[in-house]
Amino acid sequence: MAVLTIARLELFRLFGTRRGWIATITLLLIWSMIIRFVIYPAANLINSSDSASLAGAILRHFDLDAITAWPSAEISLYWVLSLYLLPFFCVVIAADQIASDKFRGTLRYITLRTSRTTVFFGRFLGQAFIQFLLVAVTLVAVLALVAWLSPDQLSSVFGSVPIVMSNVFVVLLPYIALMSLVSVLAKSAIQAILFAIIAWILVLIVVGVVQSNFGEIEFLNWLLPGSQVSMLIKLSGWQTMQLAIIPLMQTGVLLTLGWFAMQRCDL
Amino acid sequence: MSIIESSNLSKHYGSTKALDSLDIKIEAGEPVALVGPNGAGKTTFLSLICGFIRSSGGAVNVLGHTPGSQALSGRMSALPQDARFDPALSVGRQLTFYAQLQGMSSGAARREVARVLDVVKLPEVINDKSESLSHGMRKRVALAQALLGSPELILLDEPTAGIDPPNVKIIRDLIREQASNATFIISSHNLDELEKLCTSVVYLEKGKLVHMGPIDASDDVDYLTIRMQSVDEQLFVEACLALPGVVKVQRQTQGDYLIECNEDGAVDQSLLAMLAARGWSYRHLAKGRSLEERLYG
Repeated sequence: MAVLTIARLELFRLFGTRRGWIATITLLLIWSMIIRFVIYPAANLINSSDSASLAGAILRHFDLDAITAWPSAEISLYWVLSLYLLPFFCVVIAADQIASDKFRGTLRYITLRTSRTTVFFGRFLGQAFIQFLLVAVTLVAVLALVAWLSPDQLSSVFGSVPIVMSNVFVVLLPYIALMSLVSVLAKSAIQAILFAIIAWILVLIVVGVVQSNFGEIEFLNWLLPGSQVSMLIKLSGWQTMQLAIIPLMQTGVLLTLGWFAMQRCDL
Repeated sequence: MSIIESSNLSKHYGSTKALDSLDIKIEAGEPVALVGPNGAGKTTFLSLICGFIRSSGGAVNVLGHTPGSQALSGRMSALPQDARFDPALSVGRQLTFYAQLQGMSSGAARREVARVLDVVKLPEVINDKSESLSHGMRKRVALAQALLGSPELILLDEPTAGIDPPNVKIIRDLIREQASNATFIISSHNLDELEKLCTSVVYLEKGKLVHMGPIDASDDVDYLTIRMQSVDEQLFVEACLALPGVVKVQRQTQGDYLIECNEDGAVDQSLLAMLAARGWSYRHLAKGRSLEERLYG
């Protein structure tokens, strides 16, 4: 099936080329730094009985005590950090789905053989696989930390892995879809990232102006990818999936816009 | 059978008409030359056929389907002008990917890639990145891409532009060899080359169809074109004008002499006799005018 052939090549472009390996190793090094210098000391601090009550009080003060409901401090910290940091990595890695191939003319060779729709969704699917794998790798690193620091909690942490995994993945989907859209319009990965930032800021300004003139309109709060994250970290366990409909709908809308742009663009 | 049929086909870029109500019907068979000055609409026409761009009006039909249709996958291919391969992937990997998109299994795709690289005489570059190849080799690899799956229709946009003579010869020979398997439509500014390869010509100017017909100049009986080995120009012109039936002799920019005759005389025979009598040698003699002379003369 052509869409899977295209998705497979996306995986190869990241994991089978020197450029892809450099990007992957950079990401893994940054995450190992985060684990070593943020999660590890913070988990130690929370796990120590002296400071556990203080940390709990601070989180309660900010209405974030659901964070402590996860089975270990390591997974709690990973949960919060991944929700805020992984989207940045996602935007960078998923930026070049279409842009370079379109600018270089490579897309002409491809569309002589398959439809634009197949190319667009094949690339999205490939990026979704990549992000899933990267989430899995970072989560495995945190599990290794749990096994080292709190081996007694490992079995209960395993139970929360599917929840964290599926949530983080669903949170990333609209970011991938956003980059699918802007990479159709851009000429390079960097330009795609700039377009995403500009679009983001413009939507924020428009929403701000509309809401200041017409009052709070709840629907507008959910326009941007990641807008549900501040609510998400107040939930734990499978409750977190209550909010999955927001990123899934954002993904649907962004993919529709991207598909439309792909059909209209000149190659 | 007509492989390409357009009616009232137009493409506008703002107020510029790149193609203006083009009605064209191209039959399957011998290679077709697509010519015209810069901005005539050649690349636009080929891009519309390939589905790279959308028309502003009218319609075009390729092998009975609309451009970009999935049904054309494997039946039509192209060598687009200035399109480049992904520099991160090897030539073999990309060609295999394209062959798989045409519906081949991975084994069949690998065999097909080996075949087309053999056809373009570059089997050794299968593991190379395209950026490490010369411009001429890149064009030949791009031509290999167009031959994947033995399509019925192959569009070549400036296949020899900017290429050194050895590579031009290889590409020209390739097209000649493959012409029995597919219909080629070749856009080029190199009219000498097109005369050697094609049997019919489509001439566009300012987005309009100006001329369409056979490229062969044998019916262009009022003219002879001769290329001489070193000869005094004035003496040669005077000798030619002295021949019965010769009306005018004109030196062309490329060094050829264009001899205009009246309809009656067998001027070619008397010309050859005159050359022999004077001991002058010629390199090339053709009936009719060159394609360049007929289109732009």
